[in-house]
Amino acid sequence: MVAAAIPASRVSRLLGRSGPQVGRLMSSGAHGEESSARLWKALTFFVALPGVGVSMLNVFLKSRHGEEERPEFIAYPHLRIRTKPFPWGDGNHTLFHNPHVNPLPTGYEDE
Amino acid sequence: MNHQTHAFHMVNPSPWPLTGALSALLITSGLTMWFHFNSMTLMLLGLLACIMTMYQWWRDIVREGTYQGHHTPTVQKGLRYGMVLFIISEVFFFAGFFWAFYHSSLAPTPELGGYWPPAGINPLNPTEVPLLNTAILLASGVSITWAHHSLMEGHRKHVIQSLLTTIILGIYFTLLQASEYFEAPFTISDGIYGSTFFVATGFHGLHVIIGSTFLTVCLIRQLLFHFTSKHHFGFEAAAWYWHFVDVVWLFLYVSIYWWGS
Repeated sequence: MVAAAIPASRVSRLLGRSGPQVGRLMSSGAHGEESSARLWKALTFFVALPGVGVSMLNVFLKSRHGEEERPEFIAYPHLRIRTKPFPWGDGNHTLFHNPHVNPLPTGYEDE
Repeated sequence: MNHQTHAFHMVNPSPWPLTGALSALLITSGLTMWFHFNSMTLMLLGLLACIMTMYQWWRDIVREGTYQGHHTPTVQKGLRYGMVLFIISEVFFFAGFFWAFYHSSLAPTPELGGYWPPAGINPLNPTEVPLLNTAILLASGVSITWAHHSLMEGHRKHVIQSLLTTIILGIYFTLLQASEYFEAPFTISDGIYGSTFFVATGFHGLHVIIGSTFLTVCLIRQLLFHFTSKHHFGFEAAAWYWHFVDVVWLFLYVSIYWWGS
């Protein structure tokens, strides 16, 4: 039972390593894929992360283009629905409410 | 006698399935108490019980699989089946929300003005932050593949670097989405547009947070030498889940952000 737990490499070492495993000193899980980690590391640093960088630049440049006037408030019945009050605060504000861009059913709060 | 003649894991009796079920009961009834009777106690108790169940149950599995050696290849195969089936169930979960979105947007009703996006809705520009978010998640898919290959090749330092990169990208995505939620000129209460947008992207964001947490647990386990180059199913499960989250985002981006604008 104990002998079965000894890996093959130990056994071949005991036998003087004259078998087919001479010279191939790596775990069989990496067979033929030694450079794949290097490939993905290169992809990460030369493609993926620069792609993120370019996208960040794009957002930054577009944000400098100008703050637009917020649209005038029209009390559409299909928007700003209040069938039931929200279970927080005064029940009239959404969870990510931003007074500058989110009007209440009665209009912008800061007008 | 501790001698089993089969490859399966006969798990010791555990209280966590019961505490998990109880936490589900407390959370659901707690939501009712919160929505209708202005009390958060039951729900908070339920959430606490849920988090503690998850922590202790998964901690037990880690113990069983590492120190106790119960995760034979046969057991691992079962765990693989389990994770695959779970992810498939999540695919169906999101399919429902995509169904709702397409149902409403392909045939906009007269109440909305007969067009999509509906009258009064200014959708987010898909070429700004949403595009950055796409780049972030795609990049994180590359970095997690780097992590996996490093793990298989035994490069401990690289595993840590690449896992950390992936997690940071996930957190960056979450922060950007949160900022988008605050800056959006439309809200969840803005009719069917708001509902489909925030429920679909909201559940997606929740899954990003879950995935990032799973990856962080993998990072901690890697630091604690739990993984070997041949046996690291916890990491693989996290990687599968992360790729799933990425793919859902791609569908969201194309459907809701791009086509839907």
